[in-house]
Amino acid sequence: MGDTKFCELKPKDRAGVINPIFTCQPAGAQYASIGVKDCTAIVHGGQGCVMFVRLLFGQQFKENFDIASSSLHEDGAVFGATKRVEDAVDVLLMRYPEVKVVPIITTCSTEIIGDDIDGVVTKLNKGLLKQKYAGREVHLIPMHTPSFTGSMITGYDLAVKDFVEHFAKKTEPNGKLNLLTGWVNPGDVTALKHLLAEMQVDATVLFEIENFDSPLMPDKSAVSHGDTTIEDLQGTANAIGTLALNRYEGAQAAQYLKSEFDVPAIIGPTPIGIRNTDIFLKNVSAMTGKPIPRSLVEERGRAVDAIVDLSHMFFADKKVAIYGNPDLVIGLAEFCLDMEMKPVLLLLGDDNPSYKNDPRIKALQENVDYKMEIITNADIMDLESRIKNKEVELDLILGHSKGRWTSIDNGVPMVRVGFPTFDRAGGYRHPVVGYAGAIWLAEQMANTIFTDMEYKRNKEWILNVW
Amino acid sequence: MTRKVAFYGKGGIGKSTTQQNTAAALAAVHGKKVFIHGCDPKADCTRLVLGGKPQETIMDTLREKGEEAITIDAVVNQGFGGIRCVESGGPEPGVGCAGRGVITSINLMEELGAYSEDLDFVHFDVLGDVVCGGFAMPIREGKAQEVYIVASGEMMATYAANNICKGLLKYADQSGVRLGGIICNSRKVDNELEMMLEFTAALGTQMIHFVPRDNIVQKAEFNKKTVIDYDPNVNQAHEYAELARKIIENEMFVKPKPLTMPELEKMVARYGLMD
Repeated sequence: MGDTKFCELKPKDRAGVINPIFTCQPAGAQYASIGVKDCTAIVHGGQGCVMFVRLLFGQQFKENFDIASSSLHEDGAVFGATKRVEDAVDVLLMRYPEVKVVPIITTCSTEIIGDDIDGVVTKLNKGLLKQKYAGREVHLIPMHTPSFTGSMITGYDLAVKDFVEHFAKKTEPNGKLNLLTGWVNPGDVTALKHLLAEMQVDATVLFEIENFDSPLMPDKSAVSHGDTTIEDLQGTANAIGTLALNRYEGAQAAQYLKSEFDVPAIIGPTPIGIRNTDIFLKNVSAMTGKPIPRSLVEERGRAVDAIVDLSHMFFADKKVAIYGNPDLVIGLAEFCLDMEMKPVLLLLGDDNPSYKNDPRIKALQENVDYKMEIITNADIMDLESRIKNKEVELDLILGHSKGRWTSIDNGVPMVRVGFPTFDRAGGYRHPVVGYAGAIWLAEQMANTIFTDMEYKRNKEWILNVW
Repeated sequence: MTRKVAFYGKGGIGKSTTQQNTAAALAAVHGKKVFIHGCDPKADCTRLVLGGKPQETIMDTLREKGEEAITIDAVVNQGFGGIRCVESGGPEPGVGCAGRGVITSINLMEELGAYSEDLDFVHFDVLGDVVCGGFAMPIREGKAQEVYIVASGEMMATYAANNICKGLLKYADQSGVRLGGIICNSRKVDNELEMMLEFTAALGTQMIHFVPRDNIVQKAEFNKKTVIDYDPNVNQAHEYAELARKIIENEMFVKPKPLTMPELEKMVARYGLMD
């Protein structure tokens, strides 16, 4: 390739953040917590640390999720607020008799003042839970997620590990696979479970969130929750192996199960696109010894057929910017490349130092033969300013709804993908992973580009004879 | 089993001096492996052991080079008697949050595995008083299980020691931390020994050792050394060796019973005004 470096991985070169791509650590821990059955987290901090996160979940799924707050006030910040955690646990257990799992999620303020939540948990375990709630199964799990380090991504990763570490218990081998999906939508879980069912593989899915797409029932139940049980989490130690699909969302838990219980682990790749779904199925097959059935070969064939109809004719050389969760962004970039597109700008919203060791980023750096920028600690202004300054000429944006005005104001078509997506209907229902995800993504991209061609009267007549 | 020990006491009482001299005695006289984690933003908890060698603190490294640059090799130095030393450091005076600095640095050392299993003692040397949650980090769950408070017969030193006991009591139930005793670092005030004995009895603990005042400590400090390093044959070296032995053999670990302010004032006045 010569000396020219085409693909650079570098931090944002401007101070401050304008329109962040991620929110903070406690949000990630909260997203993991709503995936567990009979679980209500207490966020130890100001009420906003829960309210704005619940709002995001509500926007994403158009559903309501229960998360509690210790509601820190000025006096708590001065005098210490562990008493508020004790009160919160008591009130929560009184009010909700079905709650068994209570993650206690810290925030900036309560980490700064040094509230010892591990100590509080010990105290409650020895006191309140032994006395007032004697005989009731309650698990208090401290989770340290100060917002001034990491991002919602590291918060999710940490929470998955904390759940697994708290519950996992070696008993008898259960013959199951642990599937750590990472931060995904209900549609993704359905797609992944479909692939495993076709392969006749029984899996513990962390987390079972298909019910985030909640039915409206005659009893008017209004609160949504996940369905991963305590038994599911306990059993992770007895699995034949762990597949962590996302390097940054769940890999820590996979590594823990490997080092603590010798459960073999494969981390990545995120099964976005044909190539990565193929690898995923091969990994499942290698771990379980089950063959890949013909039904999945046909499914793959249908996806490939859908893509070849589009890629060379409509996608070739189209320049794409992608932002959002790192595994999603990298997976989408790989898929775009496979479809002859040119992802020119990848924006990752935090400064995780391990990005530079990601084999997928290294592969991009080795193989890309045009100018691609990968910006860490990026914000949506990094996208906006490059469009305005004509540093990039984009044909398509892939990202979540927080960037909708960049798309609208600059007339660049955009496919909504990632968290949070609130300005398109039903986004959460559609997978981006698996062959089904590949079809959905390719067709969404195509239809978005088609609409843009028509709207701008740009060779829209091509579609007359397609 | 590594014994994790926290030293607290009023600012200026000779806490870091006593802590380092004890560490030196543990290492040189009793053959123990010791690690000192200095938790004072002034970063002066290890200079006698390191011979005055200015140590790059964890917070300096974090500020100037970033978290990735913090490795055991970069921030842990070895000094007299093979004692390993690290200083948390902290922000410039008047800005930021020193307490959070303590939390961050202890977390980082744990992640890096600096408190290795081969150690007999880990000392946390904490500034002045348990002023906020950060300075209680060393006595949280899974950290120091025993505390020694350095005090003297002076009114304000006993007041501070009593206050530290209140802080300790708060953590005693949740983390299991216990008070191992009060080290009297003598100021040669009137009736000091008698008062300390009554004070420690009232707290429900022991005066684990009465360290007499001796100018040799100052002399050794000017030479950036602990007493045992400076001159192992002087009496004061034996005193520190004795304190170290008592700590090694200590079996009295209690939840202290702090005094009320009127009780404390009455006691101090009784001894202070005695002629």
